[in-house]
Amino acid sequence: MGAKEMVEEIKEAANEEGARIIEEAKANADQKLEATKSELEAQKQQFVAAEERKGAEEKERIVRAARQNARKLRWTVEEEMIEKTLAAALERIDGVKSGGFKDISYPEILAGLINESALSIAAGSSAGADVEVLLSEEDATASYVDQAMLTKLADEISSEKGATVQLSLADERIKSAGGVIVRRKDGTIEVNNTFEQRMARLSTNLREDIVKTLFTGK
Amino acid sequence: MAVEALKIIRVGEEEGRKLLEEAKANVAKILNDADDEVKRFQEKAREDEQRLAAEISAKYVQEGKREEAAIMKTVEEESNTVKAAAESNLDSTVNVVLERILGVR
Repeated sequence: MGAKEMVEEIKEAANEEGARIIEEAKANADQKLEATKSELEAQKQQFVAAEERKGAEEKERIVRAARQNARKLRWTVEEEMIEKTLAAALERIDGVKSGGFKDISYPEILAGLINESALSIAAGSSAGADVEVLLSEEDATASYVDQAMLTKLADEISSEKGATVQLSLADERIKSAGGVIVRRKDGTIEVNNTFEQRMARLSTNLREDIVKTLFTGK
Repeated sequence: MAVEALKIIRVGEEEGRKLLEEAKANVAKILNDADDEVKRFQEKAREDEQRLAAEISAKYVQEGKREEAAIMKTVEEESNTVKAAAESNLDSTVNVVLERILGVR
């Protein structure tokens, strides 16, 4: 073999080796790119699934908040109407004083409240009770309650319950839209039957009745 | 003569070495390009994720808002109905309250 042939052989071998390592590099590069694509696609799928879950949770949060707001709105409307009813009832007290309620005059209503209060006090006093009745300035000035009424009531209570009760009108006045406070003169027992206090005391049952009548008409 | 042949062979060997060097440089470039391509894929994937996250979030928020609007519309209609019923029952309810607080029930 001559020198030129040897040179050609060397160059051919170098070319072949060069081509081989280039082909190998290309194959490696392609493989690497394919692996990256697959990995990124898998990551994307996982990412989308996670974002879908987060999105669904966010949606659920919005809907839950809306339901809560809806309940609040419903409750607010009901509360407004209940308050409106209670306010309207208090506003009608003036009309009750002048015209009575369901054919019962205001003095008769006060008599009923005094009777109920005095009976309650008498029930806790075996030896009889000296009881006074407190009215608002307006009711006292209008003389809805007088001593004659109180004496008659005291007699009725004494005869019905067998307990001696003496009733009198106190000089002290109360701040109230109406109704009475009845108390033993020694101050040991007091029954507050002003309308505001009755409204507060009866609150739970009253609200049940209001809800039933107001929203169902029953 | 032999010296001349050796020279020719050395030159040949040098050319062969250069050819191999070129091939190796090509290999390095191919691998570098592949790395750059991988980085581009990863960068694009990050951008895609940001875009997808915004799209998915917007889709669910929109659905939620739509349901929210429907819920509020329903409750407002119900509230108006309840209010109207209550207004028509107001007088009778006030009477019930008065019966209680006046003690004439």
